[in-house]
Amino acid sequence: MLAAIHLLGRLALIRPRFAAGYLIVLTVTILAILAPLIAPYSPTEADSANFLQPPSAAHLFGTDNVGMDIFSRAIYAPRIDLTIAVLGTLLSALLGGSIGALAGYYSTGHGIRVWLSFAVMRAADVIQAFPVFVFAIALVASLGQSIQTVVLAIAFVNAPIYLRLMRSQVLSIRSMRYVEASQVNGLSDFQTIVRHVIPNAMAPVLAQLSINVGWGILLTAALSFVGAGVRAPTPEWGSMIAMGFQNVVTGQWWPSMFPGVMLAITVFGFSLVGASIEALADPAKRRQLLSDARQRDRKKAAVEQPSLERI
Amino acid sequence: MSKFTATLEKELDARVATPAAPLVAIKQLSVEFPGSTETKQVLKGLSLSVQPGEIVGLVGESGAGKTTLARSILGVPPAPGRISGGEVVFEGRNILDLPEPELRKLRGRRLSVVVPNPRAELNPTATIGKQIAAMARIHLGVSRKEAMRMAFAMLRDVQIPDPERRMNAYPHELSGGMAQRVVIAMALICSPAFIISDDATSGLDVTVQAQILSLLERLAADNDSAMLFITRDIGITAHFCSRVAVLYAGEIMELAPREDLFLRPAHPYTLMLLAAFSHSPKLRDAWSVPETGRRETSAKGCSYAGRCPLAQEVCRERPPPLAEISPGHFARCHFPVVDR
Amino acid sequence: MRVLTYLAKRLAFVIPQLVGIILVSFLLVKSIPGDPAVLMLGPTATPDAIAGLRQSLGLDQPLYMQFFIYLKNLLHGDLGTSWQTTRPVLDDLIQRFPATLELVTLSLLLAIIVGVTLGVYAARRPNGWIARLSDAYGLSAGALPDFWFALVLIFVFYTVLHWAPAPLGRIDMVVIPPMPITGAYTIDALLAGDLEAFWSALSHLALPVLTLGLLNAGPILKMTQATMEKMLDSDFSRYEVLSGVPQRLVVRHALRNSLPSVVTIISVLYGYLIGGAVLVEIVFSWGGAGQYAVQGVLNSDIYPVLGFVLFSAIFSLIVYIVVDLIYVLLDPRISN
Repeated sequence: MLAAIHLLGRLALIRPRFAAGYLIVLTVTILAILAPLIAPYSPTEADSANFLQPPSAAHLFGTDNVGMDIFSRAIYAPRIDLTIAVLGTLLSALLGGSIGALAGYYSTGHGIRVWLSFAVMRAADVIQAFPVFVFAIALVASLGQSIQTVVLAIAFVNAPIYLRLMRSQVLSIRSMRYVEASQVNGLSDFQTIVRHVIPNAMAPVLAQLSINVGWGILLTAALSFVGAGVRAPTPEWGSMIAMGFQNVVTGQWWPSMFPGVMLAITVFGFSLVGASIEALADPAKRRQLLSDARQRDRKKAAVEQPSLERI
Repeated sequence: MSKFTATLEKELDARVATPAAPLVAIKQLSVEFPGSTETKQVLKGLSLSVQPGEIVGLVGESGAGKTTLARSILGVPPAPGRISGGEVVFEGRNILDLPEPELRKLRGRRLSVVVPNPRAELNPTATIGKQIAAMARIHLGVSRKEAMRMAFAMLRDVQIPDPERRMNAYPHELSGGMAQRVVIAMALICSPAFIISDDATSGLDVTVQAQILSLLERLAADNDSAMLFITRDIGITAHFCSRVAVLYAGEIMELAPREDLFLRPAHPYTLMLLAAFSHSPKLRDAWSVPETGRRETSAKGCSYAGRCPLAQEVCRERPPPLAEISPGHFARCHFPVVDR
Repeated sequence: MRVLTYLAKRLAFVIPQLVGIILVSFLLVKSIPGDPAVLMLGPTATPDAIAGLRQSLGLDQPLYMQFFIYLKNLLHGDLGTSWQTTRPVLDDLIQRFPATLELVTLSLLLAIIVGVTLGVYAARRPNGWIARLSDAYGLSAGALPDFWFALVLIFVFYTVLHWAPAPLGRIDMVVIPPMPITGAYTIDALLAGDLEAFWSALSHLALPVLTLGLLNAGPILKMTQATMEKMLDSDFSRYEVLSGVPQRLVVRHALRNSLPSVVTIISVLYGYLIGGAVLVEIVFSWGGAGQYAVQGVLNSDIYPVLGFVLFSAIFSLIVYIVVDLIYVLLDPRISN
């Protein structure tokens, strides 16, 4: 674990944009946790006398059309958006990943399990053939609009990705000798998967997780934007953008712009983190990174004093 | 290296490079490949010249730098290689100094390369006829129709069976031998003054090999083209090269007129190459290949010292110069094998 | 003949999938709470009237019967009726699908122009500034929410600069839309020789096309760049350089050889955009098929949703078949 953190730290130094990714994710997380301490106003209480005030010292991001402070709402929003996206993504990985692992493990041979594994793959085809947004919105509508159902919708539309990912990982690792050896040693199927297959499949799954948290945030915001997700006055970026929609057209840009910028930066941060994990998981890219790191170390040693401006 | 040997080396190289006004003179050509840990010298100041109409053979094993040389002569070393020094003088000009657009106009027009493994080298989505004609259109500026006519004539010249049909064939529809003929057609359609044949017959059946070789020789003679014939098979060079150079680890180890090289080889490496092809058990036993795993090339000494059965202390300490041991016969060895 | 066997194979594979898609969406939309009969008749309806309407809609039948009735009607070209518009869903979709298709097709064209151009230039110099710019562009374009980016464009080009028309539909309210022939306003206006309608339709297309085109160029850019890098690094490109072929031609031949992978990603994107344009349609009140489906979901109007899913699935299918045929034209190695 420590070694992994050390590696990530070095990675961040060689590729500044990866560092930016970790910084963004960290900042947004801290903002979400500390929001009650930082926010100057309540995120849900409207000061109806001061509606649609442009950004000022009193209201850093201005106020919206009912008089709520946009800055306070914008830093409270990741509490909802991040929670939904992270939970939904984890659930989809758990759901898709475990089914995918089993489907991969039983994709050859005979009997009912092979048929089941085939049926599962075709079901994944069907789900992926849907227009994602319409599918998600229909899910939310049929399960009843709430935060939990948005989580479920995210989990459900992303599950096929993990299903395929785990299945192909299991298939490729399964054929390797040590899994065969462990079967000979009398480990059960379940033990074999847990002990050998899953640890090996971790890196690509992790990279996908980070990217999917970004997508999850986008989907949550999109659902809320059309009124099918989180409802105002609960602070959420998508619904904030929707609230400011009419104001933008008439020239009051701030109610929509600030939450949008924060939303975009957050998603960007998660894709960068995903890209960095991907780079570490890919042997060729990792070699390149490590050689860059060595070169950097050599340069540093040659200069003796690390210059601070360059970081 | 002491100052004296450096001067000596230069002087000798100058003599190797310019016996009389050559068509192509490669002078001190160096190519390096940057790696993740260190930069590898693939060509180490190589000098060689070719007279007009002459066919010079260049023999070397895989990794000696043959393809690097073939492509660096035209200024495009294989990636990630970089020409780090030297000149290629063609018709009195160092072409490596030319601006890219001008050098481009020489490539394929006045100097051209016949590449090995040609099925991968041809554009998979264009017909053979178009690809050959493109050479004529680009370099000679002829019309599309004229170019197609020339391409067809060229396909007939390289004796491809059923040339009408091949004009509209795609590379994947050709056999290796046919593709090799196509590449020769592309290299020769502009009647270049200098042809580099880079291991052009590797991977072909022996019978096809012989056909391709005689075809190349005949076409070069018809065209009055000079040729650098690069191969890993020393036996082939005996047939039609007037001089033969032996390349090892980016350096010319021996350079001699054909008869000298085959009858009086001086460098232990040449002897080893000849022994591998020899029918004499005595020769084979004496010069059999030692364990090839040890191919370390020390920065200091002779690059062949690690494999050489005759190596002495001095061979690991000091690089031998390319010395003229008899008129026109050069060997890079502290202990050249003479009078055998 | 070969084309026919190909089509047969393709359909044999796809029809079960299509039925699966219809089944899943049917169950999904059916489980949306809310009784269409109640919604249609309003709060003042008598229980008798509601029961009568339920019967005439087939809502009193068991679920599997309702599904079979739907499938049976489907085979007769009957996609059901939307209670919101009180029109057959097929008619509604025929009217709205071209709007979505026009928007999506033009956006895709923009994405192709941006993605392929940047991709080719980035591949020519893998460490140059265009490559770095493309890298940043690819990462950030995927992170921007399209509905928000559309708002930014509206603010800049409509509210501030007044260059673009108000985001209220496909054509100016005072301009009479052209007679529907293809359903795409720009094409119909040109066919009718109505330049005013053409310009109005085109100016309404500008912002939504810009939104979707710019934000979806990322995948095309990445694929073009990766494939072009591989092709320019390939033996045949090196051989062309060695043979003195001008760089412009080397790049063109490499692009020609990269086309199959680029076309693949374009086709995937095309299918995705039909459903993925929904939010932009909503922002610009486009009145397209996606917006129609979302309205259906939000109002327990199931047939528009089913119809839309069916339409977009069939559209994706057609795109994939066309792409398979294009492959044969693009790569001589496949046709044999």
